[in-house]
Amino acid sequence: MSIRVLNPNAEVLNKSAALHMNINAAKGLQDVLKTNLGPKGTIKMLVGGAGDIKLTKDGNTLLKEMQIQNPTAIMIARTAVAQDDTSGDGTTSTVLFIGELMKQSERYIDEGMHPRVLVDGFEIAKKATLEFLEKFKTPVVMGEMPDKEILKMVARTTLRTKLYEALADQLTDIVVNAVLCIRKPDEPIDLFMVEIMHMRHKFDVDTRLVEGLVLDHGSRHPDMKRRAENCYILTCNVSLEYEKSEINAGFFYSNAEQREKMIAAERRQVDERVKKIIELKNKVCTGNDNNFIVINQKGIDPPSLDLLARAGIIALRRAKRRNMERLVLACGGEAVNSVENLTEDCLGWAGLVYEHILGEEKYTFVENVKNPHSCTILIKGPNDHTIAQIKDAVRDGLRSVKNTIEDEAVMMGAGAFEVAARQHLVNNVKKTVQGRAQLGVEAFADALLVVPKTLAENSGLDTQDVIIALTGEHDRGNIVGLNHHTGEPIDPQMEGIFDNYSVKRQIINSGPVIASQLLLVDEVIRAGRNMRKPS
Amino acid sequence: MREIVTIQVGNFANYIGSHFWNFQDELLGLVEEPHGDPIFKNSSLDMDVLYRAGETQQGLLTYSPRLISVGFQGSLGSLSSSGSLFDNISTYDPTDIVTWTGNVSRCAAEPHKKNLFLQSLCEEDQQKSALYANDPDKEKTSPQKQIQDKDLVECLESGVQFWTDFSKVQYHPRSLYELHGSWTDVQKLDNYGIGKDVLSEGLQIEEMNERLRFFVEECDHVQGIQFIVDDSGGFSSVAAEYLENIADEYTNTPVLLYAARDPGAYAFPVSQKESITRVLHDAVSFSRLSSFCKLMVPVGLPSLRSKLSSVLNVDDQKLFHSSAVYAASIHSISIPLRMELPGPTATSAYVSGAVDVGEIVHILAGQERQNMVTILDTAMPAPSLTDEHNQGSIHRNLHPLTPEVEEDDDDLHAVESLIIHGALHSGDHRASISQVKDAINASYLGGSQKPKLAYLSIALCPLPIPLPFPSIFGSCVGRHGELLGNQSEGAHSRGSLEIDSIPMAARLRSSKAVMPLIERRLGNLRKHGTARGAPGAELLRSWGFGKDEVEDMGEFLSRLLMSLNLQMTLEQSQSKSASEILAHLVILDSSGSEHCLQSWHSNQIYDLYCYVILINSFMVISLSFLLELGLWNHELKSIICLCTDAFKG
Ligand SMILES: Nc1ncnc2c1ncn2[C@@H]1O[C@H](COP(=O)(O)OP(=O)(O)O)[C@@H](O)[C@H]1O
Ligand SMILES: [Mg+2]
Repeated sequence: MSIRVLNPNAEVLNKSAALHMNINAAKGLQDVLKTNLGPKGTIKMLVGGAGDIKLTKDGNTLLKEMQIQNPTAIMIARTAVAQDDTSGDGTTSTVLFIGELMKQSERYIDEGMHPRVLVDGFEIAKKATLEFLEKFKTPVVMGEMPDKEILKMVARTTLRTKLYEALADQLTDIVVNAVLCIRKPDEPIDLFMVEIMHMRHKFDVDTRLVEGLVLDHGSRHPDMKRRAENCYILTCNVSLEYEKSEINAGFFYSNAEQREKMIAAERRQVDERVKKIIELKNKVCTGNDNNFIVINQKGIDPPSLDLLARAGIIALRRAKRRNMERLVLACGGEAVNSVENLTEDCLGWAGLVYEHILGEEKYTFVENVKNPHSCTILIKGPNDHTIAQIKDAVRDGLRSVKNTIEDEAVMMGAGAFEVAARQHLVNNVKKTVQGRAQLGVEAFADALLVVPKTLAENSGLDTQDVIIALTGEHDRGNIVGLNHHTGEPIDPQMEGIFDNYSVKRQIINSGPVIASQLLLVDEVIRAGRNMRKPS
Repeated sequence: MREIVTIQVGNFANYIGSHFWNFQDELLGLVEEPHGDPIFKNSSLDMDVLYRAGETQQGLLTYSPRLISVGFQGSLGSLSSSGSLFDNISTYDPTDIVTWTGNVSRCAAEPHKKNLFLQSLCEEDQQKSALYANDPDKEKTSPQKQIQDKDLVECLESGVQFWTDFSKVQYHPRSLYELHGSWTDVQKLDNYGIGKDVLSEGLQIEEMNERLRFFVEECDHVQGIQFIVDDSGGFSSVAAEYLENIADEYTNTPVLLYAARDPGAYAFPVSQKESITRVLHDAVSFSRLSSFCKLMVPVGLPSLRSKLSSVLNVDDQKLFHSSAVYAASIHSISIPLRMELPGPTATSAYVSGAVDVGEIVHILAGQERQNMVTILDTAMPAPSLTDEHNQGSIHRNLHPLTPEVEEDDDDLHAVESLIIHGALHSGDHRASISQVKDAINASYLGGSQKPKLAYLSIALCPLPIPLPFPSIFGSCVGRHGELLGNQSEGAHSRGSLEIDSIPMAARLRSSKAVMPLIERRLGNLRKHGTARGAPGAELLRSWGFGKDEVEDMGEFLSRLLMSLNLQMTLEQSQSKSASEILAHLVILDSSGSEHCLQSWHSNQIYDLYCYVILINSFMVISLSFLLELGLWNHELKSIICLCTDAFKG
């Protein structure tokens, strides 16, 4: 999908031309992405050559869809995408920040200043800004029970930049609860333990959290129940399928009888395994009306299904590998690799298991579990691109909650940090700097303002007015962000607009590194993959 | 039912696949044709092996290939990646955005226009649904349509840009996966390392695994995976990683791998650097791919113009052309895998010699030599049994599609699996199963080189030539693929308009003749990759291979060679018990006509005996089929004793 092909000029150019090419590439990329930023940004609908649609409000997704050939632009794009890979957010801001650093530098360079001086200034400013970040951040105490309200505010802020308000708000509780469900104190949060499942549904746009698991397949036997209550769950990775052994695959029989015998013997082995499962079922389900479900990572062939069905067992085959882990976290028990020594302790438990069929797609819900540490976010949408977009947003939301818990801090958003940091640099830091490097600090400080400026621009506000209002209010001693409806200063804390600390930190860290590289260029590097991803 | 899942990875693989599925689609269509050739109606081929039945959300029943096709984004041309089948006529306007109330900007890429052929397919679909509503008899070929078909064929001859341009198949929405490589040019996707980079982006391999899981889950008993990879560039590392996952997740499911490349892959390298990159790519990708499958079949000649057949007229420049030849041969190889027969020894009037993927692997790679790199030979079209035009036997007309192999195969330990389908007796008369069988047996016995072990499968059903098949046949090929006597020189090539079907023969051959291919790769790996100061060592490192890994690859390749070199010495065999020797059965004819057996039996025991001594090997006829014929008797025992004695010295 080609949105814009940035100048694919990869010749080796002389220094000054190379520098300007870098600046232009950075500005070009900034132009493409700036309308994306914030809750008033523009959503982009990309239509491919065959009419297929992709929908995105996300800088990250958009970048990946673009056909970029210019090596400078590719370098910036890589940094921005890496930003998302490591911290889960802030792609657009990264691109804007780099673009703006280059744009601010251009002014000075055109006046004859050496890029080296600017870069020195960047270095000082970056250090000062990172120190300021530590002072400015809002610490969040994460005890046994994290402050759910703050988690919700962070999630809501992120989600509202990707989905319209009502939808974002509906998802807020879902993502927060999902992360809290899988969280174990003192262990890193593994977001893979939140399964994200989708259903294509003609009329529905709806997302819900299932405490338990939704599997994208169902049982494969007509006589197995489609709904069962009070279920033991056996999670296993055991072949219940007759597989020809190596010898059997050939024609190594001295007679047909032997061949039959051989096949029968191998079949019997499979049957034995099935019988062991049935034995356990009989042991735990006799004298009560509990049910028994087998969820197997390996195959189960029709004869085995028959046996299981006759014993009243519901069986699913070819479960996702990851679901083995999730099932155990959701239902308890353990994932077994063999049916030898099966005991009741191996079994998990779910209050309700039922199947849902949509055309040829089957879903199995494993719900009402006791103490789940794995859960499923189920997204319904009318078409693939809508589902994909919601999925992206959910991922962002989950990441923001995880970051908050792990950072134990958040940042006030809506441009508040950028305005405060800029004023700090201009009012306090700049004067401590010797000589012309001051100008580098200033360029850096002004570049920070790209966030509130762009937020204002996307809201249809006058950027000058907004910046004057914000800096004025700041200098009166208040922390202020932008009210994107009115352009007035607001207190982000009051409004509950919070961004992730680690995301901001990384933007401040990586932006000037790339910008400096681009400014100090001797000649333009050729396009190609041999450039390492900046980490 | 023993299902096969097909996987195609890379552009040329998808070209081949596109033809392959067109053949299947044609076969399905010919069954329904009211006045069609009965040979297609009773083909005894079980299409369910390759296809799956499904249902859309609207309740429409569907029948689509059990397929995963992986290509680079943008390689689908005018076809949407969700296929055409499940186009949901949803009540939602797809451009209606339900997730955002703010501004929307729309960026549309230049739409790919459907070519004449695809347009006519669409129209046909629409007409069909309209016609079925009214009067199905109206559906007759009008003279106007004749002209149209000609235009369609011409349109494809002059301009196929994407493999989807000539596909008449409807794909399942999970079948077509577009690999997303941000800011990578397809042209630059030309080596192992880049493929690795591309795949590492996002969760792409995960999605590919999920799609495979979807198709496998619904299989009751999957017999194997038929995997075609375009191994000339970055797609081989994509495939290698996919295969590694498959080996891990479906350990007992055998993979039959075709590593294919188009003639363009042999273009002269522009620089020393490029040529080193290329040979290292070949070595690495060969070693990686072969280590993750059960049977590997490298195919792809620098040119299909010459040797292959005097009656084929392939334009090497056109992927549309060359891929058709490979597709036809792969189709042939797949025929025994889906014969509707209870077992390997059963036979019917339509088919004989059914096997499954596991058995084929076992026949070819499971012998004492354990060689898993096989040669694909093809005779397209196969000559008639009576050889009216002095072309020579089917055997003599089999030519390798595998590159870099030795011309003369004098390997006495060679093992082969041969499929002949739609063979003609003479003129355009089709040969019966037993006629084919006799002819082949005769040629095995009379031929100069005898494979040690041969497995024969026969089907009556020829290769149907669908409309979107390229015009690659010479003017001497008739409507049923027979050779016409009156070769009018200079006449234009013939294609689907003139030819309905052709007889085919294809063979997988495990033989020492494949050694040069492996030797070359090993040599290049050593010379450019592992030798002291080798120029390519740095390159291999940038592809993510440390020194040890490269050495392991070399090790692996030399083991492949070693297994081919392995001679079963007399001493070795001596230690084997009679039953072990019997285990190495030679199945010359799995179902065996009585006549053939008798002739073997009475006249050739002595021959057999000599043969055994001479080539220091053994040739015993499948016992199970002898049993079926009630011949487990003292005569047979004496043959076996004879053999055993021969070994004992
Ligand atoms: N309600 C809001 N009002 C003003 N600014 C907001 C609001 N919500 C989020 N923002 C700001 O939007 C920016 C994030 O926008 P987003 O589109 O997510 O870009 P990125 O890809 O950089 O994360 C942050 O600077 C954040 O503070
Ligand atoms: Mg964001």
